[in-house]
Amino acid sequence: MDSGSGHNIAPPPPNASAVYFDGLSNRRHAVSLAFKDRLEIREDERTLAAWSYADIRRADSPSGILRVTCLAAPALARLEVRDAATATELISRCIQMDEHLPGRRGVAAIVGWSLAATISIVAVVLFGVPLAADRLTPLVPQSLERRLGDVADAQVKTVFGGKICDNAPGQAAFVKLVNAVRESAGLDTSVQSAVLSNPIPNAFALPGGKVYVFDGLLAKADNSDEIAGILAHELGHLKHRDSTRNLIYNGGTSFLVGLLFGDITGSGALIFASRSLLTASYSREAEQNADTFSIDVMHRLGRSPKPMGELMFRVTGKEGDRSLSILASHPLTEDRLARMSKEDRPPSGPPLLTPAEWASLKAICSAKN
Amino acid sequence: MNQMSRTPLEPPSPPPLPAPPLVPVSFSGDRGEFFGLLRRGAGLELVTVGFYRFWLATDMRRHLWSNTQIDGDAAEYTGRAKELLVGFLFALAILMPVYLAYFLAGLEAERYRAFASFPLVAFFYVFGQFAIYRARRYRLTRTVWRGVRFWMSGSGWAYAGRATLWGLLTAVTLGLALPWREAALERYKMRHSWYGDLQGSFEGQGWEFFKRGWWLWLLAPVAIVVFPLAPFFYAAFKAVQWRWWLSGIRFGGVRLESTLRRGALVGLYWKVIGWFVLLSAAAGIYFAVCASVIGSMNGAPSQASAFAPQALLNSIPLLVMSGIGYLVLALALGVVTRLYLMRDLWVRLLASTTVHDIEAAANVSSRGTPASALGEGFADGLDVAGF
Repeated sequence: MDSGSGHNIAPPPPNASAVYFDGLSNRRHAVSLAFKDRLEIREDERTLAAWSYADIRRADSPSGILRVTCLAAPALARLEVRDAATATELISRCIQMDEHLPGRRGVAAIVGWSLAATISIVAVVLFGVPLAADRLTPLVPQSLERRLGDVADAQVKTVFGGKICDNAPGQAAFVKLVNAVRESAGLDTSVQSAVLSNPIPNAFALPGGKVYVFDGLLAKADNSDEIAGILAHELGHLKHRDSTRNLIYNGGTSFLVGLLFGDITGSGALIFASRSLLTASYSREAEQNADTFSIDVMHRLGRSPKPMGELMFRVTGKEGDRSLSILASHPLTEDRLARMSKEDRPPSGPPLLTPAEWASLKAICSAKN
Repeated sequence: MNQMSRTPLEPPSPPPLPAPPLVPVSFSGDRGEFFGLLRRGAGLELVTVGFYRFWLATDMRRHLWSNTQIDGDAAEYTGRAKELLVGFLFALAILMPVYLAYFLAGLEAERYRAFASFPLVAFFYVFGQFAIYRARRYRLTRTVWRGVRFWMSGSGWAYAGRATLWGLLTAVTLGLALPWREAALERYKMRHSWYGDLQGSFEGQGWEFFKRGWWLWLLAPVAIVVFPLAPFFYAAFKAVQWRWWLSGIRFGGVRLESTLRRGALVGLYWKVIGWFVLLSAAAGIYFAVCASVIGSMNGAPSQASAFAPQALLNSIPLLVMSGIGYLVLALALGVVTRLYLMRDLWVRLLASTTVHDIEAAANVSSRGTPASALGEGFADGLDVAGF
């Protein structure tokens, strides 16, 4: 019924064979096409549909087959032309056939908008998120911060072992030292602090006002000014609420950077790298501010900030040669030591601890005496 | 043209043929064309830092779908990239508060006991299964053959619940329950899949899958020790799984059957591994050259004085060049994976497949409406996207 022999109806070209699906059922209609003022789709002598040429659009098809649809027909109605001459004829009559397909300009638009989105995200990460973190931090209620602190506290105790060192003379010396620094720092008594038994030389502040000093740091320290400087530094973090600020900043940054790279296969590492790059620079700034705070506190106490730098240098050694400074979360120790040495002044106040108290503090983790 | 070679024009009359007609499934796509599409897509992904992925995914599907011919008629993918983009943006808007809630819930759990929030990860597993179901629904409703669309009913959450419970059982039994998990989930998906008014079903049994693949389960520990064997085992496992899955698919009276050999996919996986090694080696050389060039530029001054800002400035180009190198590597690996494990795999699966009793789908009425791409967005956001 579709023998392509020319019937020769004068003006339109000869009938042509095609396959038609009406979009309502999957019946395969073998049809002939008549190119009149509209495209008439005929099965036997019946006209199944008449499509106006302006409404005909190309649909996906394998090569060698022209598949078209019509804007005015059911959405899935399809006409398939397998004969090259007929296809050419149909294409020549439908000027708008490829109008809906994205061309070169479409791709340029995608690239342009993507670049705009990228620039906007990068700008937000560089300027917006730090600003948001600064503005939002004071709005975070102390109670929430304390909860965060409790969470961090439980994790710290699980990871590092939770043993608190508090033999009586050592604890007395520790409290005296902390109170001296705390008062000079202008913080109230809600600050809690303790020495944890752990060989790692470190100290840190948790959100909500907890400061922990590891026994390992005491072991490396030579005098009370060194520990006082470290305590002042950690209290600086508390005063600036750096944990909360970091939380907001890190959360915002990872979300946005993740958004930016989407799922280019295996971009996880890249997200991680660019994130650590960004957060490191942010955290270096926080560390510098905490150092400034510590220097001020020590000056107010009439003590030199230099011993703190010396203690840190003793712990880390020279860092410049072995680490990528851009990825470091802290400024290089040698730079911090240089800065604190510059602020070195002869002591104008009394020592913070007597030699006996200092000895008890160093022995705070030894068995009770 | 040979479009008259097979014409089921007389619909209801029972064909008095000696054997029921077997309909092969064929693929007419040009491999070079698909590769060109991938290459261009990877380049644009690099320029658009990944945003082009929606267009690339759509282009790949359009190519694969429209070149897949069943009974002489090619399928069609009617999904568009903009739908995926919108779905992704909506999914983001929904995922943001979800992530926040997840964070707060984790906080409370941690307060109760350190690391007590770990089980909350399970929530994202469930959510991922939901996304998988909804993404499948999107793709199915964009699949058209002979002017009638496929579509899907059923509930994404009901599916996610089943998938999670079966996943738990599979984990507890060290993978032994996997065949039954696959069978149960496939039954759910296919029972809710339709071609027009023709309902799908899945007839594969967990037991058959198990019979064909149990030896792989026993050999899995060997593959962990002697890991060059792992690709052989994995390829065999995938071949067994695909064959079992294809052979279980039904739409009304239409049956699919696959004769995929066990070793049919081994070559594909080894080719991918070969390219991975080659590309990684090239990337390694690139990184080494970058590092040595930049090292020779900054070696002298950093020795002379410990000026940190200088070291900092000098390492920025290294980081930028490594970042670009890494991106190019990731994209090249993506091209390789998609070429072999998507296109070539697709072609091999189709070549192994025959359709029985296609006349049962001779007069199907259109039903079902296109589903939104939100599920695809979730799948993208949660990194569980399949195709």
